[in-house]
Amino acid sequence: MMVTLTVNGTQHSLDTEPDTPLLWVLRDQLNLTGTKYGCGIAQCGACTVHVGGQAMRSCVTPLSAVQNQEVITIEGLSDDGLSHPLQVAWREIDVPQCGYCQSGQIMAAAALLASNPNPTEEDIASSVNNLCRCGTYLRINKAILQAAEARGQHKNQTQGEAS
Amino acid sequence: MITSLEMSRRGFLKASGLAAGGLVLAFQLPLIVRQARGASPSGGTLNAFLTLDPEGRVTFFSPFIEGGQGVYTALPQIIADELDVAFETISVEQAPAGEAYKIMFGGTQRFTGGSMSVRSSYTAMRQAGAAARQMLLQAAADRWEVPIGELDTQPGRVVHAASERSIGYGELAEAAGALEPPTDPPLKDPSRFRYIGKPIQRNDSTAKANGSAQFAIDVRLPNMAYAAVKQSPVLGGDVASMDEAAIADRPGVISVERLPGAVAVIADTYWHAQSALDALPVEFENAAAAGLNSEQLAEEMQGRVDEAGMTAESHGDVEAAFLDAERVIEAVYQMPFLAHATMEPMNATADVTAERCEAWVPNQGVDVVVQQIAEITGLSADNITVHTPYIGGFYGRRFITDYGQQAVRLSKAAGRPVQLIWSREQDTQHDYFRPMVTLKHRAAIDAEGKVSGWHVTVVGDGPFKRLMPQFMQDGIDSSALEGVTEQPYTIANRRVDWVSHDYPVKIGFWRSVGHSYNGYVTESFIDEMAEATATDPLEFRRQLLGEAPRYLNVLDSVAEMAGYQPSVQEENGRRSAYGIALHLSFGSIVGEVAKVSIEEGRPRVHKVWCAVDCGSMVNPDTIEAQIQSGISTGLSQTLLEEITIENGEVVQKNFDTYRFLPPSLMPDVEVQIIESGAEMGGIGEVGTPPVAPAVASAVYKLTGQRIRRLPMARHDLTASA
Repeated sequence: MMVTLTVNGTQHSLDTEPDTPLLWVLRDQLNLTGTKYGCGIAQCGACTVHVGGQAMRSCVTPLSAVQNQEVITIEGLSDDGLSHPLQVAWREIDVPQCGYCQSGQIMAAAALLASNPNPTEEDIASSVNNLCRCGTYLRINKAILQAAEARGQHKNQTQGEAS
Repeated sequence: MITSLEMSRRGFLKASGLAAGGLVLAFQLPLIVRQARGASPSGGTLNAFLTLDPEGRVTFFSPFIEGGQGVYTALPQIIADELDVAFETISVEQAPAGEAYKIMFGGTQRFTGGSMSVRSSYTAMRQAGAAARQMLLQAAADRWEVPIGELDTQPGRVVHAASERSIGYGELAEAAGALEPPTDPPLKDPSRFRYIGKPIQRNDSTAKANGSAQFAIDVRLPNMAYAAVKQSPVLGGDVASMDEAAIADRPGVISVERLPGAVAVIADTYWHAQSALDALPVEFENAAAAGLNSEQLAEEMQGRVDEAGMTAESHGDVEAAFLDAERVIEAVYQMPFLAHATMEPMNATADVTAERCEAWVPNQGVDVVVQQIAEITGLSADNITVHTPYIGGFYGRRFITDYGQQAVRLSKAAGRPVQLIWSREQDTQHDYFRPMVTLKHRAAIDAEGKVSGWHVTVVGDGPFKRLMPQFMQDGIDSSALEGVTEQPYTIANRRVDWVSHDYPVKIGFWRSVGHSYNGYVTESFIDEMAEATATDPLEFRRQLLGEAPRYLNVLDSVAEMAGYQPSVQEENGRRSAYGIALHLSFGSIVGEVAKVSIEEGRPRVHKVWCAVDCGSMVNPDTIEAQIQSGISTGLSQTLLEEITIENGEVVQKNFDTYRFLPPSLMPDVEVQIIESGAEMGGIGEVGTPPVAPAVASAVYKLTGQRIRRLPMARHDLTASA
């Protein structure tokens, strides 16, 4: 069965069993290895991507569920891989340690900021619950708050220029 | 004080017949320059660690792997200071296997572990940078025909002030690379350090924030196939039979291969391999752990706590102290098996041909991996290349590269590159666990109410006995005893005994190794002694640290920064308490205070304060990150983690049942670094051991329950709260 989906703006038609988890399609067929395998049962969030703007755990998302959907992976979060406010904050605060879970952490946080530009610590706690064995949680929280603030300032500036 | 690896070094030196040196992990420059890397086509090889290209870009070949601990940042900081280049001009590559990079223990060892990377190579890195700078100065002196003494450097340039000339390092690279490296280059005065001791930013954050950081699991090779493996669910079994035909028609399946104790499916994608393997009928037999139950094992071990064992350390006359005692207190502690649960599961990629092997194997010691591949393939080491990309967490697990051996066997069998990935279920069940250990502590209290004797019996083997018996000392496994021996407390009569107890479960090195349980049990029993002498835990420790001023300073520092209070606090109707603990591991003394309350029968840790005396430091921001990380691991084992075994099979198979610290349980952490000027200590593991005893101390104040078995998830603290 052919499944058609869009990944980071590029459309793909894949002749793959429809029950194949999106994670392995991304990693093994589309060579997008920034999305990681951690547990395969949606417990850790290392595989988090956006489907239709929502954070999804791709290890339990069958390919059939993303037919004709827009998928964004960490590789597509920003054009240059540098400029998303979360990437800026991650770099400035030096969040990562081993780094393996960080793609998923950032994608979970990006979905949160897209729907809630000004999250409280409680909002972060309830929607970014990805596991990190290095325990970078404190810096993750700090970076999400900093990115939210930076985005807010950027918006205010843009609005100020417009008026 | 002596840490396990320092002790292991002694063991090594003894075993190899070399004379033991001082505690300083000495480095001799000739060791690193004796086998220089091939020079780049245009540029210079300054020594085994450094090459310089014509544009002045420096490549540093790191003998240690980067798995989050920040060594790819810390070591170039040191190099940049002594070589006198901007930190940003240095890029890092993993050094290949080989003698040139064995810079530990007098040039005999290379591994990443024991919180040793920075402290064991600090002088070596300084000398490597300084020697390279000296060669560049000499090259400029030769070119300009001026005495070298008239030359100086600015970042990336050699300068001759008298003639107002200067030249970029890149232009000197080739000439400098042809010079003989100096053996005793002058080192910079520490007052002039520009990078060492400063919070320089990591050089891997960008790649780790955009998905481009390459882990072994991300390797993609032409014609590469993927493999999934299933090992005997009852530990230590072998394949009895399987029905390959049952999966032959499944999509993408290339072959089914038998491995020692396992079966693997090779397919065109990992999902095809794993789902076919899940459908493969396979029976295992002859399991070493058949019938084993961890609860029963714990009882067996508890039944041995009064055996004489072997004495690892003895001071004064313990027997007499107990004979003369007014009172005796004693307690038995039980510690569980723990999994490493690295986020990147075990995996390896191998490409074996008749002539050569190239492999990507996450590891903590590359030379052993090469040796294992040589044994499997029959190839000589010269024809084996092992790459070690970024590692998605190691914590001791990746000393053992069983998955690497499997990948090599599979590639050899399949005749093509193969990437093997262990499912999380395989990773959890077939880990080399933190050992299960039972400990008994006894204290003698004399007529004056003082502790006059302390006797400890540790039942259970450590990873040395199993995996590195060459490090046993006089038949004793120091990796099981580290953290209970070498105590700073002034108790005249004390003894530590060890009872070896073997069981058919694989064990290994887990973050902070023996300290992970001895830190907990020892410090908890110090609290029990404090109670027996009607003294607050902080005050009790202070009284016994008269001969250990460094410890006392750490203890007082952390108590002060936390605003430690002996009694239970009431704030807005919430009861909370402060617990304190102090522990030396890997050369650093760490004090921690935990502020804890009880919520729904579980301990809730609000904040952990940490004072760490690591002697001196390279990067304070890395230290903060590593202490936060170590505390998360320590709290995780305190609250949640446990592997149990029923009928020889590991019960916990994935993160739904092997739970480790989620973000919701991460406390606030505040870190104070103390540079006492003592010998540089480790950082990666030292935050872990004091967490459990600090939390347990607070829990005792709040509930009256002395927790002697972890994790605390086993205990319902509701009734007593």
